[in-house]
Amino acid sequence: MGLAPLRLCDAASTYCRLHRELRPCPTRRSVAAGCYYSGLKMNSQICLSCKGIERYLGEEEERVHALRGVSLEVEAGSVHAVVGPSGCGKSTLLYILGLLDPPDTGQVAIESKSVSHLSDDELARTRNKFIGFIFQFHFLMEDFTAQENVMIPMRKLGQLSDVQMRERANDLLEAVGLGDKLRRASRHLSGGEQQRVAIARALANDPRVILADEPTGNLDTANSDRAFELLQNIVQQGGNALLLATHNPVIAEACDWIHEMKDGRIIASHPRSTRSSIV
Amino acid sequence: MTPPLYIALRFLTHRKRALLLSLSGVVFGVAIFICTQAQTQGFARYFIDSTIGSNGALVIRSRFRPRYEPLMVSAKGSKAAMGRRLYFEGITNPNEIMRVSRQFSNIVSCSPVLRGTVSARAGFENATVDLYGIDPALHAQTTDILHQLINGNFDDFRNNTSSIIIGSRLAELLQAGVGDTVQLLAPNGEFWRFTVAGIARAGIGSIDATRIYAHARVAQALLQQPSGATMIIYKLRDPNRAPALASRFETLFQHNASSWQEREESTLQLFLTLRMSVAITVSLIILLAGFGIFNVLTMSVLAKIKEIAILRSMGYRRIDISLIFLWQGAVIAVAGSLLGCSLGALMTWGVSHIPIRLRTRIISW
Repeated sequence: MGLAPLRLCDAASTYCRLHRELRPCPTRRSVAAGCYYSGLKMNSQICLSCKGIERYLGEEEERVHALRGVSLEVEAGSVHAVVGPSGCGKSTLLYILGLLDPPDTGQVAIESKSVSHLSDDELARTRNKFIGFIFQFHFLMEDFTAQENVMIPMRKLGQLSDVQMRERANDLLEAVGLGDKLRRASRHLSGGEQQRVAIARALANDPRVILADEPTGNLDTANSDRAFELLQNIVQQGGNALLLATHNPVIAEACDWIHEMKDGRIIASHPRSTRSSIV
Repeated sequence: MTPPLYIALRFLTHRKRALLLSLSGVVFGVAIFICTQAQTQGFARYFIDSTIGSNGALVIRSRFRPRYEPLMVSAKGSKAAMGRRLYFEGITNPNEIMRVSRQFSNIVSCSPVLRGTVSARAGFENATVDLYGIDPALHAQTTDILHQLINGNFDDFRNNTSSIIIGSRLAELLQAGVGDTVQLLAPNGEFWRFTVAGIARAGIGSIDATRIYAHARVAQALLQQPSGATMIIYKLRDPNRAPALASRFETLFQHNASSWQEREESTLQLFLTLRMSVAITVSLIILLAGFGIFNVLTMSVLAKIKEIAILRSMGYRRIDISLIFLWQGAVIAVAGSLLGCSLGALMTWGVSHIPIRLRTRIISW
């Protein structure tokens, strides 16, 4: 079990082509990694931000203050890592930023537009269009082939014809090195392959932001390095933003920004330029 | 195809065993429902056709005296008692009643009948029989007697005034066949000799076991009846309108008129009760099948918690998720119903080809 060697250069260039196809207007700037935290203002395009997020989980005696006033800004083309001990609120933050879970207080904005007032249906539509999710345990639809898994978000978006969706899914799977396993049922793929299908699926609607909850947590070192490298390349070439929660220090080090979380707070944010080794 | 429908179909086709289980529940439930309903409805239809074919859709019988109580001035303090109708046996002026009634558009034909109870004897066997004195031509037009003949010839009966047609079970009882002699006992104690010209089977036990048809003139002489008819039976274009016509005839002719619905009310109620009982039983079976589907879908939902989370993360709305599972139920219900209807039709066709001889026992009027 393991990842086949990824053709990263090919993959990145293929993805860039796909990116142009789905979003032909070259509105995004090529940017350097950036973040706004604790009064640090960025001058690049902010695609995802949150401010003063508070979140309680559980009821009564089991009530936990999971997030305590978290603020974060993620810029297009940057890769952000959220690190911290288990239970510090990384996943909760990701779910709130991914509009899966509403905050108790605070605001989330996508491309500077607040989504706090949106209905559940509108949040779902926004999620479908702007956000791609990658989970630790792949979370593919077992009954579907790799190709069909990648097509599911596109079906919901409804912008492409069936043939176009199929072609795009093929190209995305080709980009992640699974061109020869398009029609293989997802449960018959190895762990590494499933994660690559999950990456391709997260990119299906060319989202502005990719949120990954420990995307390499279930992979061996070689596979996790390759998967991360793939994501990094795709993000940098395509101008998306990647925010990932990870326990892997090597991966965190490779990100443009590292946000340290503890007890529901971001206690420090380190851009690549200001750190030697954080984690 | 909408994404929820697409996903629903994929879920369904992937779980073939669960799909077959749910589908078979609906298919058999619907098929059995159709088959049992068809059977009870078929029995009812058969009975109605038989009773109308033998006794007519509408019958006029005894004349009654019109009530004049509304014209009477009652004494102070006394309550005006509603008197019962006073009936006189037999039809007064049957030819005139038939002439007038033929003017009604719903009337196809009518036949006067002189009815009486006599004893029949053939060989060493005796039976009490219902003698129907009929005009062969008119009776053939009004009833299904021609189709009911299983033995003999109606023309032989028509052309021979000393011939009779007897019910099939009566023929068995008297051990009499076509050409045999049957003696009927007149009220004055004389035996009249008749030749059996035909044997009829109405399909209703009480008719087949007791009825004998003879020529009206001969029957009148045998029964020593002054009137030519004790009742007139009618064939209607629309038997369902018989009650309204009966009410009209009562007012018009001052004779008791009863529709087949009124005559067979208890039997029709019995059929209705039977149909309802069967419908309730089969509905319970379908309900159980429904619980089966519900169970399978619930299991499917529980088994797809992960998939639901994935779909939500990809931007599928709550309604989309609900639709995925509702579509599965709808597909099973529609496909199961269609297949069940086809199977039900096939089963009904098969049952209708099982050679069953019906013996319906009713209380004859």
